[in-house]
Order: sequence, then C-alpha cells, then structure tokens
Amino acid sequence: MDDLYLDNIDEFVNDQNKIVTYKWLSLTLGVHVNTAKQMLYHYLQQKRNESSGTPLHATYLVSGKCVENGSTCHKVSVVREDKLDAVKAKMDVTISVHVYSVQRAELKDSSPLYNTDYEAVKENLKNCNKYSAIRCAAAVPMSSAGLQRAQEMALVPPEEKEISKPGLNENTSATSKSSAKQPAGIMGMFASKNASKSQESSKEVKTEQKDDSSLVETSKSKTASKANPMSNFFGKSAQKKADEKPNKSIKEETDGSSTATAIMKQSQTSPKSKIDIKDEQSKVSSALKVESKDTRKLKMKKNKEIGSPSGQIVPDSPPVPNVQTPSPKKQVKREPVSHQEEISEVKRRKRRRVLKSHTFVDEEGSFVTEKGYVSESYSENEEVPEPNSQAKDSSSLKQSFGKREEEKKVKSQKKTSTANKHTKQPSITGFFQKK
Amino acid sequence: MATLTRQDLNFGQVAADILCEFLEVAIHLILYVREIYPSGIFQKRKKYSVPVQMSCHPELNQYIQDTLHCVKPLIEKNEAEKVVVVIMDKEHHPVERFVFEISPPPLLSIRWKLCIFLICTLLSHVEQLLRAMILKISVCDAVLDNNPPGCTFTVLVHTREAATRNMEKVQVIKDFPWIVADEQDVHMEEAKLIPLKTMTSDILKMQLYVEERTQKT
Repeated sequence: MDDLYLDNIDEFVNDQNKIVTYKWLSLTLGVHVNTAKQMLYHYLQQKRNESSGTPLHATYLVSGKCVENGSTCHKVSVVREDKLDAVKAKMDVTISVHVYSVQRAELKDSSPLYNTDYEAVKENLKNCNKYSAIRCAAAVPMSSAGLQRAQEMALVPPEEKEISKPGLNENTSATSKSSAKQPAGIMGMFASKNASKSQESSKEVKTEQKDDSSLVETSKSKTASKANPMSNFFGKSAQKKADEKPNKSIKEETDGSSTATAIMKQSQTSPKSKIDIKDEQSKVSSALKVESKDTRKLKMKKNKEIGSPSGQIVPDSPPVPNVQTPSPKKQVKREPVSHQEEISEVKRRKRRRVLKSHTFVDEEGSFVTEKGYVSESYSENEEVPEPNSQAKDSSSLKQSFGKREEEKKVKSQKKTSTANKHTKQPSITGFFQKK
Repeated sequence: MATLTRQDLNFGQVAADILCEFLEVAIHLILYVREIYPSGIFQKRKKYSVPVQMSCHPELNQYIQDTLHCVKPLIEKNEAEKVVVVIMDKEHHPVERFVFEISPPPLLSIRWKLCIFLICTLLSHVEQLLRAMILKISVCDAVLDNNPPGCTFTVLVHTREAATRNMEKVQVIKDFPWIVADEQDVHMEEAKLIPLKTMTSDILKMQLYVEERTQKT
C-alpha cells in the first residue's frame, strides 16, 4: 500500500491534535479495521525511529486469558503503553495485542477515546460495521414493526431490574465490591473498561438476540461464577452511570451471546435464584396491571403504625394505566397467563381499606372507640349515588378501571361506617359526604 | 428548561441554561485535566452522551455552582463577554487562563422558526458541538506545558459596569460576593495564545482559547 496514509495520520495527530483510534481511522479513510490497525502500527514505528519532534502516546488493546479469583476468564482491556508489558505478563495466554489509538496528549482516562469513537460511529450510523471484522449473518436492520415491538419490550425490563435489585443483593454484593475497588487508580479506569463492556453486552442480549460463534472459554467462566450473569443482567446495568454506546457491544457480542446461553443453563440449575426472579417478576406484573393485595397490605400496615390517621380513605396505589405489556423473557412466560386470570377475578370483587370504628371495653371498664383501617371486600358493581355530580363526570372520562376505582373512593370519601358486606348502603355514605 | 411552546419560549434563557451547564462541566474537566485537584475526587458522569469527569467534593461543587448561578443572569442579557478560568501558582500569579469568549448568536430573529421538530435537531447539533469542545479540553495537555505544583484556580467574568450593579442583588441573596479583579489576574505577562475550539450555532457562539505563560516555574 502506498504511504499517503502516513501523511494523513501525521496530519490528524500532529496538526489537528486529534486522537486517532483505529475505528475512527477505518471509518475516516474507508478501510478495513485490520488495515487501520496496521497503519497505526507502521506510523508509530516510523515516528519512533525518527526520534524527533513531538512525543507520541499510544494505547493498546490486549486480550487474553487470565486467572482471576481462581477462575479463568477472557479479559479484554485497553492499556496505556507504559502499562502494556505489565498487563501482558499478567495474562496466561495473550490472544491479541494491537494498537488502539495514537495521540499527542497523555490521556488521563479513557473518556476521550470513547468520545472520538462516538462521533465517528454517529456520523456513519448506517454502515458503522462496514469495515468491521465481526460478521453476523443474522444481524440485519429491524423493520419498523420489529422496532416498535422492541421499544415496548424495553419498557418492561428497566422496571424489573429495579425491583429485582433487593432480591439479588446477596449475589451482587460480590461483584459490586470488586468493581468498587477497581476505580481506585487511573489503571482502574482502563482495566474496568472490560467489566463494564461485558455488562453492556449482557444488557444488549435482551433487546437483540444474536446468534454468534461463542468462545467456549467465556461460557466456562460465566458458568463458574454463578451469580455474576444474574447480577450483570439485573443489578449492574441499572447501576451503571457511564452508559456506553450500544455499538461497542457489537464488538463484545461473543461475550454477550455466551452469557445468554449461560443464563438459560443457570435458570435450570439454580432454583433459588429462579424463585427470586419469579417472585420479583410476579410483583412487577401485578403492580403494572392491578392494584395488588400486597401493596395494599403494605399500606395498611404503614397506616396502622402511624396511628389513626385523619379520616380519609387513601387510594391504595396510583392509578394504573391500561397498557398491554407483553412478557419479555422466555423464563417467565407462565407469569402473565396466571396474572391475566387474576385480573379478571379481581375485577369482580375487590378489597378496599375502610375506616371503621371499633368499640370495646378496656381493662379499666371504660368504653373505648378506636378507628382503624380495615380491609373490606366489596363488589365493583356497587353503586354509590353521590350528591357530587362532578366526580361522576370526571370518572366517565377516565378510561382504566384502576382510575375508576380511585374515583369511587374519593366519592365515598371520608368516614364510612361498618357495613354488612352484602348489602348496598349508599345512604350512609351519602350522609358523610356533606363536607 | 423552559416549556417549549411557540409563545413563551424565552430563547435567552434556554441558551443561558445550556451554556451554564456546559461551563460547569468544562470547569470540572479543566480542574481534572490540569491536575489542580487530585484525581481521586473525580468521578465519571455522563453528559452529552459521553463520560466526563466531575468532582465529588461538596464544597468545590457548591463553589462552582454558586459562581455560575451569579453568571447566568449576565449571560441571559448578553452582558457577559468572557468567562475566564484562571489557574494561579503558589504566589498567585496566573500561569494559565482558559478563556471562554461568549458572543450573542448570529441570528437574533430566530423565534419565527421555532417549532418542536427544529428545536430537537437544533439541540442535538448543539450537543454535538459541545461534545467536540469537551474532547478538545481533554486533549489540551498536548499543547500546554505542565503546571507547577500547588496551583489554585479562580473564575473571572468580563462584563459591563452597569451589569455589576445588578449582580449585587443576586449576591446578597446568595451570600456569594464578587469583587473586582486585580490587574495582575487579568493580564498575564509573556503570554502565549493557544486557540482550542470555536463553535457557532443558532443559539450560542463560543470560542475557547488558552493564554499560557511562557515561563511557568
């Protein structure tokens, strides 16, 4: 190949003071990434041999197998030149080393590298992997229908992640500790790039299932540390602050797909975590669709602790929009089915908290009347005629039955007396509504 | 940000908000890159879709926020000419000055073309430009010499005298007094000028350059 590229790189690095990463170079010059890597290498060699002019700094990408905490793992890290030998020595087998970037400035952290690649990829979004060395026949752009489905699915996982966090805390504590130690020094930022990459890739697996030739080593490492894929799936991706580009995950696709297969295995082998997940997701789906008994019970307890509150029936939970959200995971396909039934049941008969007064004789022989919230079931068909016609108008406007539920409570308002469950007593509630 | 309706969009306010957010990020980044404070107090955060280093020290953060809070009204009225981050050595002589020159946007009659779609493309364009400025600040240590140890920083604002009187009201409320800068802070002898980045957009026009003292130690 002719040597014009050397002049080009020289111009970028020295005149424009740019950071030239191999990815940026391949997209700018329109060459395959491997060619770009070689170009950078030759450029570095030439400049170093000349030993004149401004000093150049380079970063390298090192990938290989190493043993960490007793388990073998495939590690990919971007390292500065001065740390290159140390990192290579740490690895058992070094699989690949190549130049990642060349720049004049001595970078203190990896953010500018990401910034450069982000700009380059953003400009060439449609064909950002045109020159890439990673190929996947199944990776084709989604049709608009597929895109809509993916967006709906994406709504559900973030909520699951939040709720499943407490359940999997024991599992995440190990990984979160190790990642907390890492950012201690500058090298921590470079070395931890591999950890955050694998988290990002496991997140990507959920939205885009890709078949790929997976490295056997990676799946071994993931199965060895049981809790880690789970925590990567739920806990870490929600906690991540620096959200790395999805395109970077294409590079680490191999890691991602192997975590997917590993997770499928996990769900069968580790019953405890499966139950945890099921519980969390059952909570999620019920919270999404229906004012669940659980949340109501929690609120009841809370009110009892506070004492007898001022006379007002508090709605159980915020009104739930009537959205169709399909189940995102294969593992929990059973859940929505069971909950569909629950919804239809609940529509007929609901429980609500009602302020009731309870009179009894205490130890000293005096009468005591206590007001407390008691859960009372009532039929949704109960009609409560109200002098307040405005409330009725607003209820007719609202679509979901959850909101209607709240309206009824507001209508029946302050104090309702104890009532026989089976008889409708509109007149008594009307009595209390004159406020 | 202000609500985006055609009637009540206060363009000056939106531009000032964006600019002050950017200045906060830029000041933190300058402190990180020039090693004014140990890098341990910095933490990666996300801004304009890229990671940036922000300090976690509460007093430092409060100082920077108070500073920019006082500067914002000046920017809204286009009275702030320059915002300068001065880095001084132990004897309080400036060694470096990062100058953000702010000019009003080229087209003032921009209201008529405000509709939601245009605003989105406009803001993503502005985001791209600000991202480029942040990248330039990150690599500025290639063109600058190292600073001596024990440096401190301060923020200066170049504005008009009438504006300073208005500022005093804000200062009393915030309990954050500003004083007129000394001549030695404003001018630097034997200064080299190193331009870093210029950006022009419909809502902001900004230039960043560094004045560096030739002999730093």
